[in-house]
Amino acid sequence: MEKVLSFLLFLITTGVFGQTQIEFDRFTLDNGLKVILHEDHTTPNVVISVLYHVGSKNEKPDRTGFAHFFEHLMFEGSENIARGEYDKYVSRAGGALNAYTSQDRTYYYEFLPSNYLELGLWLESERMKHARVDSKGIETQRAVVKEERKQRMDNQPYGTLMEQVFVRLFNNHPYKWMPIGSMEHLDAASDEDYKQFYKDFYLPDNAVLTIAGDMDRNVAKKLVEKYFATIPKSSKPIYRPSIKEEPLNGPKRDTVYDRVQLPALIIGHRTPSQGSTDFYAMEMLNTLLSNGNSSRIYRSLVDEKQLAIQAGSFQFPLEDPGLGISYGIANMGVELTDIEKAIVEQIEKVQNEPISDLELKKLQNQIENQFVNQLSSVEGIAENLAVYETHYGDASLINTEINRFLAVTKEDIQRVAKQYFNEKNRLVLFWLPKAK
Amino acid sequence: MQPHKFSYLFLFFIFSFLGVNAQEEFRKTAPSAGPAPKIEIGNYNLSKLKNGLQIIVVENHKLPRVSFQLFVDVPLHLENDKAGLGSIAGSLLSAGTKTKTKAQIDESVDFIGASLNTSGNGITASSLSKHADVVLDLMSDILFNASFPKEEFDKLIKQTLSGLSSQKDDPGAISSEISGRLRYGNKHPYGETTTEKSIQNILISDCIKYKDDFFKPGNSYLIVVGDITNAEAIAKAEKYFGAWKKGSVKIQKFPDPLPPVGNQVYVYDKNDAVQTVLSLTYPLNLEPGDADITAVSVMNQIFGGGSSSRLFKNIREDKGYTYGAYSSVSPNEHIGYFTAGANVRNAVTDSALTEFLSEMKAIREGNVTMEELNAAKAELSGRFGRGLEQPATIASFALNIVRYKLPADYYNTYLQRLSAVDANAVKAMALKYIHPEKVFISAVGKGSDISSKLARFDNENKVRLVDNYGNLLIPKLKMETTSEIKMEPAAIIEKYIKAIGGKEILSTVKDVTTEMTATIQGMQLSMKNVQKDNLKLVSSVSMNNMTLSEQIFDGTKGKITAMGQPEKFVEGDDASELLDEASIFPELFYGEKGVKLELVGNESVNGVDCFKLLITDTKGKIKSDFFAVDSGLKMRSTVTEKAGEQSATIIREFGDYKLVSNILFPHKIVIKGAMPAPLDAMVKSILVNGQVSDDLFKIEK
Repeated sequence: MEKVLSFLLFLITTGVFGQTQIEFDRFTLDNGLKVILHEDHTTPNVVISVLYHVGSKNEKPDRTGFAHFFEHLMFEGSENIARGEYDKYVSRAGGALNAYTSQDRTYYYEFLPSNYLELGLWLESERMKHARVDSKGIETQRAVVKEERKQRMDNQPYGTLMEQVFVRLFNNHPYKWMPIGSMEHLDAASDEDYKQFYKDFYLPDNAVLTIAGDMDRNVAKKLVEKYFATIPKSSKPIYRPSIKEEPLNGPKRDTVYDRVQLPALIIGHRTPSQGSTDFYAMEMLNTLLSNGNSSRIYRSLVDEKQLAIQAGSFQFPLEDPGLGISYGIANMGVELTDIEKAIVEQIEKVQNEPISDLELKKLQNQIENQFVNQLSSVEGIAENLAVYETHYGDASLINTEINRFLAVTKEDIQRVAKQYFNEKNRLVLFWLPKAK
Repeated sequence: MQPHKFSYLFLFFIFSFLGVNAQEEFRKTAPSAGPAPKIEIGNYNLSKLKNGLQIIVVENHKLPRVSFQLFVDVPLHLENDKAGLGSIAGSLLSAGTKTKTKAQIDESVDFIGASLNTSGNGITASSLSKHADVVLDLMSDILFNASFPKEEFDKLIKQTLSGLSSQKDDPGAISSEISGRLRYGNKHPYGETTTEKSIQNILISDCIKYKDDFFKPGNSYLIVVGDITNAEAIAKAEKYFGAWKKGSVKIQKFPDPLPPVGNQVYVYDKNDAVQTVLSLTYPLNLEPGDADITAVSVMNQIFGGGSSSRLFKNIREDKGYTYGAYSSVSPNEHIGYFTAGANVRNAVTDSALTEFLSEMKAIREGNVTMEELNAAKAELSGRFGRGLEQPATIASFALNIVRYKLPADYYNTYLQRLSAVDANAVKAMALKYIHPEKVFISAVGKGSDISSKLARFDNENKVRLVDNYGNLLIPKLKMETTSEIKMEPAAIIEKYIKAIGGKEILSTVKDVTTEMTATIQGMQLSMKNVQKDNLKLVSSVSMNNMTLSEQIFDGTKGKITAMGQPEKFVEGDDASELLDEASIFPELFYGEKGVKLELVGNESVNGVDCFKLLITDTKGKIKSDFFAVDSGLKMRSTVTEKAGEQSATIIREFGDYKLVSNILFPHKIVIKGAMPAPLDAMVKSILVNGQVSDDLFKIEK
């Protein structure tokens, strides 16, 4: 019966998706650069993006923060673009640009009126071929990144939460540091260190170029060849850590003092890598626990017991096995031990009792809704295509990944709850207000 | 043969050189753009139900989803001592209806993967288009049958109070609260601040009245966007909202808030801040549809609208003071405003402010270049064009046209208006709207680092301290120290030793065992301290008989254990702190050890006048101890501990001195700085000369 039901659901969903397939062309240049083209003529704009398969995970332990620092440096210009001009080319064209760095990738994009497609390709090819890495730029961006760290983390209530959890759940793997890295490492690094990092990772065979929006794919293809085909590929293997963590032997318990008014209880667990079968079951589990006001943790902690003003559970999608966080920010006067008890109670409930058919259907409906919404902008589509191609090895998952979610059974959810939300795999962090 | 070979090589060289050049010359300059594409603005449909509800529909069938917004245009009004009422009343709308509990509403929404939110300005919901009727049914049930249940109301008040409390540590939230108050004053509805007190004043009846007073079809709009036809949308509007009864709402007028007569500097002292949130703001009259709007937006784009703007280029890219510096000019039907700001490091707060003000002067006094003008116009037209991808943008255009009575082609002619803006217009806008001499300047940061440097920017050469709601703080009266009492530092120490028992008695003490208890987060902590021969130490903290941390020092080596961390062994200099701790009455040895004493003044500790002594040991470690002028007893000890980059100031206050074996020991110690809240440690027992065995201090690896 179960199987029949999920098969029917599968049919219904693919029916919906019949209307919203994302079509794209995909090819690889001789130098290894992967290219994805998606035409969409809704508005006369085009997104040009490059995803470099380098994040903080590729850094050396004594040179952390490099991948993110490069995201800053990469707007400093190139051999043919003067300092301070990179973003001006884009603004003069009426476009927008931005970038971000994660543990696994660095992503750059320009969103331009479609008659500036070639400009976008030129800008990205300059970045890939011969970006400007000089001391003036390094000096300025060191100061800027320090302010970024303060603004986003140190001066922000709960701002160092991720950092504090990752550093305790990973002992050897580079996930133990954050993409923003250590300011001391950035200070200690020489200009030469920075130049070497560029040579090691900013390579066509370590990147995916995506163009999405209003363009003719044949024209775009020719332009891509013109700007990118002569950029030399890597001369040695690209460093990808293959560090495995020993079992955690938890539960680990610790306390962090921060400039906050309300204490928070943070539970961290190590979780499977993105794209794996268990990853999807974990996503469904977290959806059950914390997506929407009727989700289990939210309803129990925020609504019924009123222990927390905010509570939830999620995992970080990461290329290597990563981690998930379940948390509650205490309502006034609530003890963190009570929050811990209440979250663990919800975890144990999933471990001990299978969820109902109705709940499973709800999770599937919520996932379906998310899937439609992630296709609402060409910016989002471009990024998803690049991410699927890089980290999952196949851009077409933009259309088919939902089937992996829908294949998750009630038993899978119960199984991963037992396997990953296990005490031995657990960190419990008390986040307490620091005295003034 | 030689020449031949030479010319062959030469030719080859020339050829390959040309070849490379021909291939790569194009990289030297930016490629030119193709012909500009035509920007088309999507259509919308307007209609009205009999009860006056206006309906805006934007069809877009690209994705199978639809959104509904029931927007109630609540008129400007004061909430007075119940500030926050609109938000509470709005949230409460979805907390239950006559036939559904909050849990049932939540369940219905989540089951179809939809979202639904209520606020003081109405109800919004979105879902896949196949579920449209389910969400509309919920919206209409909420609108007609909201039941304002008591239990949910109490819950909401409690959560809101917690939320307000959590904002007190968010420098960004504090800054925007203060800026709003400064800009609008406390007599205009926009300047009202929600406080713990105002939330506690709200009653359920106020929430019901709020909905009854303001939720009328005549001042509301149903905005439908997505995979639905106009005819379907109108039919559904009639079905779900047609029965909504007409009614009138009261419109009030409020005098416009005014900018300050001269620059005023306000500081919120957040003594743990590692950065300053700097904000410059003032109110201005600029309504949606005003003839100046397009030119003002070009001016702001050049000034501080983005990452190519002057503020960003100067304060971030040139000076490196900040992660981002921006400005905005916001039109509003009642009162608009200008704001600029950045999060900057404490040390450059004044330098950054100088740059903001000089950029404000520069854009008034100088001329913008053609390059700046063209880039700003291109950016704005690009942003406009990109926004059109989302059908919700078209819906917001339609709402503005109806709500502010703009010409029907207002947005269709936007690009024409934009291209007509020239450098003269930009300058005229800067002169009209940028006022570097009439700014409310606020800084949320570490007062001791920034206040004195900011006073010069204030027209009265002072900083005005405010609380987190922007209310002026009345300066605290300084403790009266009319006649400063002086005493030799060594004499203060002598007086203390005498006061607690005298050198002779203290010298006979070989060991002391102290047991204390304290409560933290509702948990009982036990602390035990054993000192022997001024050399040996065992100090432990435990909870429910479980040891959380323990330090042992045997006179030369030490071992530190803390739960969840590997044991740490220390020796030599690293162990010096443990040696200090082992000292039972360290004051006895200040003289022979060459500890430096300096009297820095008189201060009051919990109402007791004290001498403040700066005590520097031979390793350069400094602490401040406070000894009562009258009794001679030690009242407080302050020391700054460093661990890597972090440092924490630990304050210990001593009270309830009682005699044990003819010596006065404090029986209450309040520890501040080490724990989240002050820790009140109470002495359970003190044992002097209990012949503690040396075995207690043995360290095993």
